Amino acid sequence: MKVVLPDKNIKTIDFTSVSIEQILLDLGINPLEVIVSRNGTLVSEDMIVGNDDEIQIIRIAHGG
Amino acid sequence: MKSESVRPTVPKCTFCENPAIVYRKEVNHHLCKTHFIADVELRVISNIEKKTLISDGDRIAIALSGGKDSTALLLLLYRLLPCWNDVHLIAITIDEGIAGYRVETIRSAQRLAHQFDIEHRIISFDDIYGNTLDSLLRGKESQACSICGILRKKALDKGARDVGATKLATGHNLDDEAQSALMNVLRDDLPRLVRNSSTMKSPYFIPRIKPLSDLSEKDIATYLLIQDAWTDLPECPYTHNALRREVRSMLSDLEYRYPGTMLRIMDSKRKIEHYLSGIEITEPLRHCKECGDPSSGEVCQVCLIKRSFSH
Ligand SMILES: [Zn+2]
Ligand SMILES: [Zn+2]
Repeated sequence: MKVVLPDKNIKTIDFTSVSIEQILLDLGINPLEVIVSRNGTLVSEDMIVGNDDEIQIIRIAHGG
Repeated sequence: MKSESVRPTVPKCTFCENPAIVYRKEVNHHLCKTHFIADVELRVISNIEKKTLISDGDRIAIALSGGKDSTALLLLLYRLLPCWNDVHLIAITIDEGIAGYRVETIRSAQRLAHQFDIEHRIISFDDIYGNTLDSLLRGKESQACSICGILRKKALDKGARDVGATKLATGHNLDDEAQSALMNVLRDDLPRLVRNSSTMKSPYFIPRIKPLSDLSEKDIATYLLIQDAWTDLPECPYTHNALRREVRSMLSDLEYRYPGTMLRIMDSKRKIEHYLSGIEITEPLRHCKECGDPSSGEVCQVCLIKRSFSH
């Protein structure tokens, strides 16, 4: 599965079944500080994703 | 190790058949796009009603920096306008004069005000203080946020007064408010912890209201993103406040592990305010001997900053 990180770098990970929340925790990211989309659509983080999915992680900028 | 492809499972909205885009742990709700928008708007309106932040006939100046929080504030207040009679919105943008940052955010603010046909005033530090923040700060960069905060507050007050506003609304969210409350405890600053500028009955201040104070930073970002109102703007280059950065990261970690932490901090703050109501814990207001504005000391903070610049 392709994961687009907040810094736009791409990471490929392989697994059988995992929630988006777990992916974030494995990457050391607090789920409250990012928004995640799967194949271009916003999804709730308890969603279990598959190996064919593309996940994009967007960091929420602070301020005004 | 190659694994088999697993069929993705999309959680459904608690209130309809559509796929959920958000899971709100605190209340155990999955929400689809439509129900998330409704939920956010409901939380804002109940916050406003609970604290009577807006009344019929109000002229509300919105502090519109053009960033995500103030963009959401404008969008939400505009939508909720039919809840009151004869309430009028005016947007005020402060141009501090920060190179490489403000130009883009001001453009975004202008676009927004134009899109909703809201009267828009831009006030620059250059007009009020005779210089941009960048030049005022030279050699004092480490104090950027506190200096800018004091100067911006006065500029906003002036802007709001000039347009005849009865309220000044800012986009502070739950994360901001919980961080500030905890920082005031860490600094042992009780007067600042309990200062409540929305209910302050003073002829010198326009009451400040924070309609989004029950929404998290993530709620706001999500609300904008799903309505295509999200603009990826640069962050202020002066975000040097070391304590706030640490508190933010710690609180966000605690909130994740113990959902509801930030709301509980705000409840504690309200309880302390309640128990202290009627007790004088701040110096009585006097007038600055240099500019005449209300001040807690002989000379107000703005004039103190101006003095330090002339040296
Ligand atoms: Zn729904
Ligand atoms: Zn003064």
